[in-house]
Amino acid sequence: MKSLKGDLVVLGWLYPRAIRWVLDRNGVKGKAGESRLNKIEDENQDEDDEQQSGIEKDSESVSQGIGALDVPNRLIFAIDLRDDPDPQTYVKEIERISNVMTVPLVQLSGIGFQSSSPSQNGQSETNGATNLNGTPHLNGFAHTNGSAINHESPSAVAPASEPKVIAGDGIRRRWYPVIDYSRCTNCMECIDFCLFGVYGVDLLDRILVEQEDNCKKGCPACSRVCPANAIVFPEHKTPGIAGAEGGPAEDFKIDLSKLFGAPSALEMAVLERDVELVADGRDAVGATVGIPKRQAGASTKPRDALDDLMDGLDALDV
Amino acid sequence: MPDPLVFMMGKFEARIPTDRQYFESHLWAQMNGDLLRVGFTSYAVRLLQDVYFLDWQIDPDSNVRHKQAIGEIESSKATSTLYAPADGRVVRFNEALLNDPSLINADNHERGWLYEFETSSTLLQPDEYIKVLDAGWERTQQVLKNQFNE
Repeated sequence: MKSLKGDLVVLGWLYPRAIRWVLDRNGVKGKAGESRLNKIEDENQDEDDEQQSGIEKDSESVSQGIGALDVPNRLIFAIDLRDDPDPQTYVKEIERISNVMTVPLVQLSGIGFQSSSPSQNGQSETNGATNLNGTPHLNGFAHTNGSAINHESPSAVAPASEPKVIAGDGIRRRWYPVIDYSRCTNCMECIDFCLFGVYGVDLLDRILVEQEDNCKKGCPACSRVCPANAIVFPEHKTPGIAGAEGGPAEDFKIDLSKLFGAPSALEMAVLERDVELVADGRDAVGATVGIPKRQAGASTKPRDALDDLMDGLDALDV
Repeated sequence: MPDPLVFMMGKFEARIPTDRQYFESHLWAQMNGDLLRVGFTSYAVRLLQDVYFLDWQIDPDSNVRHKQAIGEIESSKATSTLYAPADGRVVRFNEALLNDPSLINADNHERGWLYEFETSSTLLQPDEYIKVLDAGWERTQQVLKNQFNE
């Protein structure tokens, strides 16, 4: 997928946030395109405002997250296939996105760019388009199986065709967190809490998932201690951990977990970590190590000489 | 067998047999050979109503910690994660339930048992469990009502 340089529509059986940040972690970067599917109702959205629908959400740019690095000027539309069993829903949405994204090119057609050139795979078009002040243009769709298809013939994704499986049964499923940098505040609670060396920092001291395969299968403990809910385990059963956007509106059933002995998020994280420590032949540490602390009452105390000293040291930039 | 104790859930009589002990998380436990057989109390089953899905996340013969998530249950009305009721060892699961979890509704005190367990923790006596129910009834109604209102 790294070879696809233009805008992308990626469909998967995961929450859109999970799709986007898994791609980001694996070097397939872009700004978040906003699909009309998988959306929590937003009363501010003007249905007729087609221009808006392809543009990054404002909420992301004004959020407290540190943001992703080196994001190219292209959009990635992540769509969850679990919402609707009817393939037509997705074909229509892809057509809609395709139409929206080709609008600027229609305006440029006078200087040699055609919005409709069915014979092309879009690659050369896109190169041209990006040369022209980076006008966004959809050059193809990436299926989850990685095949790119031409946006002019959506029937090519017709549901009748057997999906091509390139990741067969023999491939081990991996389990690791991905960080949603639109939410992550770089607070380092996760690196303090995880005792398996999954997390690290880059040259800019930004948190990153460094050793994915150190992560313990099934353990989502770091996600529970993250104060910004920025750590996504795409395949976890709990929607909030798997990257669902909203609150508890997912399921209208009553959740009896609290009555049936559910621990708090922190109790749960401590337990999950202990289980994995013991499984590794290490000692359980309980709640003695890496318990979230920075957020609680961080600004309640007045500045003192130590604060001044620390800020002074930071300012030296050594 | 002596008469069971009864806890009134509104108009519903939740029967609490006195031939066994209890965990606060609405499970009964009864010695069966060397092992504690564990199942849902009538109180829990009444909250769940018709169970149609049960899944265990751990293998049989696993050590567990108190409150560790060990499975999931889903019914017509509700879902819940299931948690280990104490530190101990889950020795084996009731295989009859894996094909047909509705046994939990049909016969929660006998054939609908969940798993066999070893623990050195102290369990509640039936009258103590009733006290837990008394103390928690208001909160239970809150949980139910708040979620209905959402």
